[in-house]
Parts: sequence; C-alpha cells; structure tokens
Amino acid sequence: MNTNERGIWEKIADQLRSRSLWMLHYCTGCGAIELPPSMTSRFDMERFGMGPMATPRQADILFITGYLSTKTLRRVIYTYELMPEPKYVIGFGSCTLNGGIYYDSYATINKLENYIPVDLYIAGCMPRPEALLNAFNELMRMIRNGEANGWRKYKENYEWYKQNQLRTLGEVFVHDEFHE
Amino acid sequence: MTNFMSNALEKLNNVVKKFEVTEIDEREVKIDLKPESVLPALSLLKSEGYYHLSLLSAVDWIDEGKFELVYILYSWNDGGKIIVSTKISRKNPEFVTVKHLWPVARYYERELFEFFGIKFEGNDDMKPLFLENWDDLPPLRKDFDPLEYSKKKFPDREYQKDVIHEAKIIRGDING
Repeated sequence: MNTNERGIWEKIADQLRSRSLWMLHYCTGCGAIELPPSMTSRFDMERFGMGPMATPRQADILFITGYLSTKTLRRVIYTYELMPEPKYVIGFGSCTLNGGIYYDSYATINKLENYIPVDLYIAGCMPRPEALLNAFNELMRMIRNGEANGWRKYKENYEWYKQNQLRTLGEVFVHDEFHE
Repeated sequence: MTNFMSNALEKLNNVVKKFEVTEIDEREVKIDLKPESVLPALSLLKSEGYYHLSLLSAVDWIDEGKFELVYILYSWNDGGKIIVSTKISRKNPEFVTVKHLWPVARYYERELFEFFGIKFEGNDDMKPLFLENWDDLPPLRKDFDPLEYSKKKFPDREYQKDVIHEAKIIRGDING
C-alpha cells in the first residue's frame, strides 16, 4: 500500500489531529531552554492548539531537543515505541541533524533519522522560539496534507531501523543498575 | 596560603619527608607526592580539617607515560583547597582505593576505571558507571581517537553540493 493513500475518514481525522497536538518533549540537550518561552505567555504555543504532555502514552509529537548520547537514544527508542499511532517526530537543533558541535564525540549519535523516522528538522544552534512555532505550523500543514508519514515508514522499514539501532547501540534493551 | 593551610602542611612534613608545594593562589595549594606516600598524606590531611573529598580525577600525560591522579581536598574551616597529586605508571595503571577514608570515592574510582582504565586495589565495584556496552579503549585516554570511533559507529549525513543554488548566491538572486 502506498504510504500516502488515505481514505476519506483518515483525511477528516488528519484535519482534526492537526488542530489538537500534544507534545512530549524529550529534553536531552541545551535546546530545552527554548521551550519555556514558546509555551508561556510571550510566544504562547497553546494558541495553535498545542500543549505539553507528560507521558508518551497520550502524546502525538515526540520533540527531541539537541544531542542524543547512545544512552539516551535507547530511552528515546523506548519512548517512541510506547507512543500510540499516529505519532510525529521533530528533531530540534543541528545536533539531531548532523551531530552539530558533537560530530566527533564518542558518545553522541550524528543522524537521528537512522534510528527513528523524523518528520521535520529545525536547523540551527539554537533555533529561536519563532523558528519552533514556524516548524509546528509546517508540521500541522504536513499532517493535513498527509505528508507526515514517519510512523508508517517505521512500521514498513522496521527491519532497517532495527539494524541501524543495533549497529550503533549493540542492544536496545535498557539495563538499570539500581533496579535489577 | 592561609594559616590553617600552612599548619596542615607543617604537620604533613612530619609524615611525608619530601614533597613539592606549588601555590596556585591564596586558597589553593598543590602538592606532588610519590605514590607510596599518598595514603598517609591523605589520612593526615583528613584529620587536619581537609575532610571533604571534592574530586578524584586523573590526567593522561601520554609523552611521559604516566597517569596523574588528582585528589582535591576541601576544608570547610577556611575554604581552602589542597590538591594532592601523584603520578603512576601508564602501562599497568593500578593504585590503592581510598574508599575506607571517603565512601564516595567508590564512584570516582569506578569512573576512573571506566574512562582511563585505572584499577583500584580494594575497590571491588568496578562495573561501568556511565557508558553502556563500551567496546574500545577507555575513551578519555589520549591515544583514543573519538573521531574515528564516531565514524565507525555513528554514520554521518552525506551532503550533496547544490551548484545552482550557489550560482544564485554569487549572482545575488538569493541572499546567502
């Protein structure tokens, strides 16, 4: 099945989805500091119908700010797989794009879309809240037009994603010293 | 150097025969010791008021073939710091634990084992602390190449040159 094919009900659902998005922000890096101004009164994200969400089970957007170490990437993959479909991923900052200033680090990944499908990137170090809101509007447009298909790609190319994850991480399972 | 600090160093002179003192600033002093006199010196300084172990860290002097161990002791009486440093061989890096003096040293020593490969005799808890599934040299050693490791493990984004876009910038159509 073509990933872009949608029934009439899906089209209507996408219109509605794009107007009520809950965002799980996985603040791994310094980009997290751009979120408080975007959420609070000055830039006021909620006028677009978006709000922060605390758990992956109720979230639509996984918002990844900044660099990801191999250790946090495991948790991100867990979080992404816990989210119900449809789910969208935004990579924020140049660290998720190409490693940014951590391109030669032994602990941080260089390209996020190898591991989970990214619908939209925001380039910059750091992007301002204006860029963030612009990106949210773009994501809403993509959802309405049925272009934000990352979660379908993940299902179809699951083997490829898993292979990349295993190549970098060795294993995805999270060991916890204090709870085992 | 504060009075409190010079008193402590005078007493240290009775225990350890020869050591070098470098004054970094008014409240900070570095002393270089031989490996065998580190433990007596540390326990004496602990009883002299320097009972807070701020940091235990290491420096890799690859040209000398030595690891420098750095113990930073802090005193809450006058706010002074004494930095106790010693150099151990880089080939077979081993030292003794200070876990019995400061229980927190257990975690510092775990970290040093993970990032430099320095073993601490007497500390049996040497599980990895930060890294998961590490499969190379300890990463903070100078002979470890992080760029090479990053290329091997984390694929880079490949960029293509957009000639038309660049030509437009040169012509002034786009503000590059």
